[in-house]
Amino acid sequence: MSDDHGHHHPRPDSEVALRARALEALLVEKGLVATDAVDAIIELYERDVGPRNGARVVARAWADPAYRERLLADGTKAIAELGFGGAEADNLVAVANTAAVHNAVVCTLCSCYPWPVLGLPPTWYKSLPYRARMVAEPRAVLREFGLELPDEVEVRVWDSSAEIRYLVVPMRPAGTDGLTEDALAALVTRDCMIGTAVPLPPGPAA
Amino acid sequence: MDGIHDLGGMHGFGAVVTPGGDAPYHERWEPRVFALQVLIGVEGLGAGPGGRATRERMDPASYLEASYYERWLWSSERRLLRKGTIAPGEVEAMMERLAAGEPAPAPQSDPDQAARAVAWLREVVPLQPVEQARFAPGQRVRVRRMRPAGHTRCPRYARGAVGVVEHVRGADSLPDHTGPGDAPVEPVYGVAFRSDELWGRGEEPAWTVMLDLWESYLEEIT
Repeated sequence: MSDDHGHHHPRPDSEVALRARALEALLVEKGLVATDAVDAIIELYERDVGPRNGARVVARAWADPAYRERLLADGTKAIAELGFGGAEADNLVAVANTAAVHNAVVCTLCSCYPWPVLGLPPTWYKSLPYRARMVAEPRAVLREFGLELPDEVEVRVWDSSAEIRYLVVPMRPAGTDGLTEDALAALVTRDCMIGTAVPLPPGPAA
Repeated sequence: MDGIHDLGGMHGFGAVVTPGGDAPYHERWEPRVFALQVLIGVEGLGAGPGGRATRERMDPASYLEASYYERWLWSSERRLLRKGTIAPGEVEAMMERLAAGEPAPAPQSDPDQAARAVAWLREVVPLQPVEQARFAPGQRVRVRRMRPAGHTRCPRYARGAVGVVEHVRGADSLPDHTGPGDAPVEPVYGVAFRSDELWGRGEEPAWTVMLDLWESYLEEIT
């Protein structure tokens, strides 16, 4: 079972796992669901669609000011230029961090997340404490991730409870002049695009 | 509905960063449940409110106890039962067969179904253009006080609060609509709220919470 919610102790794995297996078996037995369709969906998110997509978008925005403008003006169209898009990014809004503003994304009511650019969300994003706390004590949450922001930086928390999804465009770290887009993309982690981390400059530790 | 899922601002759930929390899932059944929910939607095997609205109806204690994909499993079963795709007791009967050592049914192949699912996941459905917007960027608005019995996207913590419209996002069907007939299509606004307005003065320097709200959640400030 996942560490979905800290100190709770969910029921043993076996019962839920068995129930999940039984539901799939039942639908397969009835001829309604094909095993390879289930596999294809899983493979899509394990192989093709994940945070490396978002990192490519951010790297392009860092490298190409005109692309950055298009991305901030219409996220859905701009990610389509790189071949990305689909369910849960039908209306993608990119929000840029600056020296004055730090953006972070949560979904308090559900766990909405821009799948086409970030893949499926990490467990913590779906957890009860993240959904409860991020709108009400964002700096305390960011501190858990090791992110301390200066007091004068405005934290903007985007609660994506409607059909708009958000992608944080972090600030390009210093010391990255002349890096290729691939090298830039390697600096952009999933958490940087949710807003619970910022990219580190390239270095031995990175 | 004002259910347990409406978590914004609640205390008592502990730390966000915990061991293992970084992975999207930990057990193989979890992505299979994710994929099954997609297929139930694509193939029209379920009925009634969607997965999200259905999960909000879990009894609160079970909701808190369940993991994320366990909730998806629960809502998938409910939607299949509503449609009559499965009958009550069928899942339990299959659990008994599998637990007794009976092999799962032979894997089935249907490349067309797989293609339909992937096409559905890659499809983009934008918001509709706004024909007439009651509010404009820069305008101060108040979130209506309400206690809707059905699905809503208006979180409790924002109700009664005053914010400033920053964006008119587009027009979208009102998720609160329960019929009869089609849901009204309304403008959706990006509204900025100061933390003081939502939570009072706290220990942290003030921050901003941004929420996308349907027009009927908002009222003019008089």
